[in-house]
Amino acid sequence: MTTARQTWAVTRYEFRMQIRKRSLWITTAVLAVVLTLTQGDRGPRHLPLGTPPREVMAGWALLMSILLPIGFGMVLADRLTRDRRLGLASLLESLPTGRGALVAGKYLGGLASTAVPAALVLLTAAAAETAHRHDPALFAWAVVAFALITLPGLAFVTAFALVCPLLTTAPLFRVLFVGYWFWGNMLNPDLFPSLTGTLLTPLGDYPATWLMGERALYAGADGWLEFLRPQPGGTTTVLAIALLLLLSLPPLALAPPLLRRRNLSA
Amino acid sequence: MDIQITGLRRTFGKVTALDGLDLAVPGGMYGLLGTNGAGKTTLMRVLAGVLPPTAGTVRVGGHDLTTRTGRLAVQRRLGYLPQDLGLYPDLSAQEFLDYVGLLKGLDDTAARRRQIGELLDMVGLTDAVGRKLRGFSGGMRRRVGIAQALLGDPALVVVDEPTAGLDPEERIRFRTLLASIAAGRTVLLSTHIVEDVAQTCRDTAVMARGRVVFNGPVADIVQRAEGITWELVGQGPPPAGGVVVSAVSRSDGTHYRLVSPTRPDPRAVPVQPSLEEGYVALMHAGTSA
Ligand SMILES: Nc1ncnc2c1ncn2[C@@H]1O[C@H](COP(=O)(O)OP(=O)(O)O)[C@@H](O)[C@H]1O
Ligand SMILES: [Mg+2]
Repeated sequence: MTTARQTWAVTRYEFRMQIRKRSLWITTAVLAVVLTLTQGDRGPRHLPLGTPPREVMAGWALLMSILLPIGFGMVLADRLTRDRRLGLASLLESLPTGRGALVAGKYLGGLASTAVPAALVLLTAAAAETAHRHDPALFAWAVVAFALITLPGLAFVTAFALVCPLLTTAPLFRVLFVGYWFWGNMLNPDLFPSLTGTLLTPLGDYPATWLMGERALYAGADGWLEFLRPQPGGTTTVLAIALLLLLSLPPLALAPPLLRRRNLSA
Repeated sequence: MDIQITGLRRTFGKVTALDGLDLAVPGGMYGLLGTNGAGKTTLMRVLAGVLPPTAGTVRVGGHDLTTRTGRLAVQRRLGYLPQDLGLYPDLSAQEFLDYVGLLKGLDDTAARRRQIGELLDMVGLTDAVGRKLRGFSGGMRRRVGIAQALLGDPALVVVDEPTAGLDPEERIRFRTLLASIAAGRTVLLSTHIVEDVAQTCRDTAVMARGRVVFNGPVADIVQRAEGITWELVGQGPPPAGGVVVSAVSRSDGTHYRLVSPTRPDPRAVPVQPSLEEGYVALMHAGTSA
């Protein structure tokens, strides 16, 4: 399968280029430190000793999801547009690798390059909590929390951060994205119609609520689009994750023709 | 691979970049001369399968470039050095070539590595293989550019203004390198520098305003200026009614060489034209036609 091999090649190189970017690591470190230091009384650091490790690590994953994806969205915003800016669009168009493989590879490589620092942050949190709570199960729950809370949101954010700048520009997308992140994840749906608390929150509200056994942020809270706000639980967690992954597909499907249009006008 | 182009048109909105172009390139090293805006880059992008033609037929090695299968067949055997090629700043030369090689479908890792090593050696970058591309000079970047074009041993090599912006010594080295790879393949070299083509190609096409205005042996371009190239020594401003090709100030006045269909001044004497004057005559004939 040539296409699969080419997708894998793009994935590897995209990951390699991205993971070397100092801005990725600085953004991750700064946001993680800020979130750790400013967490309120409900933050995972203040959970009493004896709290199940599942709740502790779900708390950390949720806490990091408040801001880390914003940083990742910013860093990823130029990944599809930059080939043209760098003067590589014509060469890439002339190679016998299709735009589909290119987009898929950039998606997978971009996702991997944000998943690695995000996972490292959670493992660091697990290490710190282990020193404090002496429970090795914290590491296992860090992995579960990462898979259920962090990763689906990153998959969603990566797709939109790659493709939306093809419709606008990378700087404009960054501004809009910050606005969306707060409106769609954290703005109290009681105050203003928002997606906060629905199944469509990439923050991981539903999975976190399920793991913590109590409402994490707003999951299922009354508000706009009532049908998207079922009672949080195991089934709705699966549903929320499936919806996020499903929603990542349309932008990815649109990307090859958008890329073509953009490269042609080079 | 031979190139057969008939009636090729490409427009960008109201701008006609290629205006019913006909060209046949048999093989070997072939020049493509033309001033800025003549349509060289557009033609090369069409040949590389990057731009679809608005109208006309383009066949490369018998493959029709307007079909998907034809385009892929050509792209598998193509080496393309676009004008103003950029590089990924955070990759090394070795990594960049490896990436392009993979995208070209060179899946055998050992063979790919060997080829990259040979090419880096050929373009004189062996000492810089591990360095990040962001630190490369213009000449070094161009050499990475030609190395990536040659990956996969392409039958057709399309290079767009590869010598622009290089210092004279580098330019000479670069065009000699290009000439050395032309054995057994088709190399299409676009440039606006007459000397580049004169020193490396037997045959050339000359483009103006989206058409081919000359196609044949480079030496024949000189003939276009025979009988219409003049020398004149004068004080004061250059004579009107001709294209001044050179003006050298000496103790006895300014020595002008100019191309003009009629004697521009009673004192003007006809002289043997140079290649550049042939090129000017060609361009000038196109304008007044
Ligand atoms: N993508 C494009 N959009 C609009 N106009 C273009 C585009 N590409 C080329 N042109 C126009 O087509 C003409 C030929 O350009 P080009 O092929 O770059 O010439 P050359 O390479 O000989 O300098 C110019 O007038 C140029 O402005
Ligand atoms: Mg050009």
